[in-house]
Amino acid sequence: MQVSRRSFLKYCTAVSTALGLTPLDLMQIKEALASPTAPKVIWLQGSGCTGCTISFLNYVSGTAPRSAADVLIANINLLHHPNLTASAGSTVVKTIRDAINQGNFILIVEGGIPTQFGGNACIAWTENGKEKTFQDAVKELSAKAIKIICVGNCAAWGGMSASGGNPTGVKGVKAVTGKTTINIAGCPPHPDWIVGTIVQLLQGKAVALDSYGRPKSLFGRKLHEICPLKEREDAKTFGVAGRCLEELGCRGQSTFANCPTLKWNNGVNWCIGANAPCMGCTDPTFPGTEAFFKKGD
Amino acid sequence: MPTVIAIDPVTRLEGHLKVEVTIDGPNKTIVDAKATGTLFRGFENLLVNRDPWDAPHITQRICGVCPIPHGMAAVQALEQAAGKTVPANGRILRNLVLGANFVQSHLLHFYHLALLDFVVGPAMSPWNPGWDVDRRIAKADNDQLFNNYKLALTMTRKGHEMGAVFGGRMPHSPAFIPGGFTATPTSSQINQFRAYGQELLAFINTVYLKDVEYLAGVYPDYASLGRGHGNLMAFGVFDLDAAGKSKLLRPGIVHDGSKTVENLDIAAINEQVTHSWYDASTDNLPPATGITKPVYPKTDGYSWLKAPRYNGQPFEAGPLARMWINGDYTTGISIMDRHRARALETQKIALAMQEWLKQIVVGGAVYSDYTTPANAKGVGLTEAPRGALGHWVSISKGKIANYQVITPTCWNGSPRDKSHQLGPIEEALIGMNVSNADQPIEVLRLIHSYDPCLSCAVHVIKPSAVSRVKVIDMAGILA
Repeated sequence: MQVSRRSFLKYCTAVSTALGLTPLDLMQIKEALASPTAPKVIWLQGSGCTGCTISFLNYVSGTAPRSAADVLIANINLLHHPNLTASAGSTVVKTIRDAINQGNFILIVEGGIPTQFGGNACIAWTENGKEKTFQDAVKELSAKAIKIICVGNCAAWGGMSASGGNPTGVKGVKAVTGKTTINIAGCPPHPDWIVGTIVQLLQGKAVALDSYGRPKSLFGRKLHEICPLKEREDAKTFGVAGRCLEELGCRGQSTFANCPTLKWNNGVNWCIGANAPCMGCTDPTFPGTEAFFKKGD
Repeated sequence: MPTVIAIDPVTRLEGHLKVEVTIDGPNKTIVDAKATGTLFRGFENLLVNRDPWDAPHITQRICGVCPIPHGMAAVQALEQAAGKTVPANGRILRNLVLGANFVQSHLLHFYHLALLDFVVGPAMSPWNPGWDVDRRIAKADNDQLFNNYKLALTMTRKGHEMGAVFGGRMPHSPAFIPGGFTATPTSSQINQFRAYGQELLAFINTVYLKDVEYLAGVYPDYASLGRGHGNLMAFGVFDLDAAGKSKLLRPGIVHDGSKTVENLDIAAINEQVTHSWYDASTDNLPPATGITKPVYPKTDGYSWLKAPRYNGQPFEAGPLARMWINGDYTTGISIMDRHRARALETQKIALAMQEWLKQIVVGGAVYSDYTTPANAKGVGLTEAPRGALGHWVSISKGKIANYQVITPTCWNGSPRDKSHQLGPIEEALIGMNVSNADQPIEVLRLIHSYDPCLSCAVHVIKPSAVSRVKVIDMAGILA
């Protein structure tokens, strides 16, 4: 007799009191059913700051998935994440090695790939007594991944880690592997950009990308076009509300992002809302060499 | 027969860390330890020649878990270089956003980084497979704690929302500028920040503090493990007046677990490189004239963290150090004391923020005009959630000529110095027993008690090396 997952869950819920199942038991049953079929994901971190993960963990929505916890429990089978994985050391390496052997996983990369010093400015793990550079780890995993997502500018193009003199020779994932990557831009990216893209992929939808590999639906319009302050008088100094910040160095006219309408941190505020000029953090050239803010002297 | 165990990667911390411990004897006692950061980016070098106004934004990207302290240290260094004080509103708003980062970070640390050393998560990745060693918590309590882990994810999100009320965006707030702050607070925003703060305070009081005490009760032996040298250091944080003379958590130095707090002397800080992959000519420099000059290979070197030392001694930074030096917590120095002090500090800061909100003057200045000096030096001393943080800037012809950062994890995760003194984490591991050499959970528990943030430990690089089991004695001599 075939029992559908849905009817099995309904049965469990209905008899939970009789069976002595706690809400956590029910959740674990759901999880056990979810994990075999949910797509496997491996999240690696390289030359970066973890800000993209922190931003992802801030995800919240009125519709499912409603939180980062929801995504982890119901939507993906996150085999490994350096900040979240319960085990460590050789146990982690085995999990990754098994995934490489089985294939069929999505690779998420946060942080850039340092290429100086033989790639040894970032070590991913030690396997059989030998240190694996992040460069080699990304190359090996990207060869077997069904999709590669770069979360944040560092993974996509080198970002902050590659700025100035780029002391460790940081490059983005595509530059090192030659593979096409979905680049969720930002420093950090908005959690909605990260989760929205993952959900799209899981639904089997194609994600249309611009020439920089960024999802067109997210980065198709200049921030300035939808900025509520664009017709306002220019601010001449800092600490003044409700003025256009162009003269103070705002990069909104050349930056593609929907921050003015999406806002940040559950709609609480956004950079320009705090009277801070846009620093253009979704641009592949971020941070650039010019100073972010100008004093308008 | 001594055996070397390597853990690489150490998970559930920020950044990249590898630890090697040598165990010996029937109890598998740790007799030697080496901590190695395995990521180097070189922020100090990439800041050179930039406009000094970029420093608060660039340095926040040193760490996405604790960006705000870097923003704070950077603006303070720039202001000191120009002899500038900021309007009261600017000072208060900075404290509030920094406080929000502390609360978010401490909750993240206990629930999402540390707790899985003691609690079993659901039967799915990434919570399983775990290292199911020395699990003592009964199933019902275990499940409740994991429920709180999920609840804490909501709270950390709200901690960042609270910070964004004034900071604009979290992580990486653009609102920190030399001369003050960009955001102009409204009454509505003050109410919004207050409401978030009250909700977080309720969680801290009714859930977080109780969970830490519960853990301390189930693992009482962990109040006697992981003391290390017992040297504690704080630069102080949360200025309560314009000059920064009065702070919520004061600066100071404690030797060997003493209840006597000595005055902090910044001139006593140097960074040694004897066991670090840096040129010997840069050894023992004060950070104001510090140089980051990588050299590999190098005899005796094993880490790209420099070894910050205070009068030549290793010192621990962090919530325990701050609370001890402030007179708020002097119960003991151990793995569990670090968790308890961190929780109590979280409560202290959350309470203080409610008071600071009352001092904001709506319509008052948040920024006072700052002109970058052509040639000047400045230092910004503050605290990150993980401990004492300093930025040292040299400005020449209006551009950054030199920039040095010493982070708390550089202190805590440092390698040996020229006198063969171990770094704090290394020292604290010595004497602990490992129950399962394949899954040395005790080592994770010790490391996690310091809440390490390796991206912050900027002087870090570990070139390719083959790790093999070595037989060495306690003097580090190959037997």
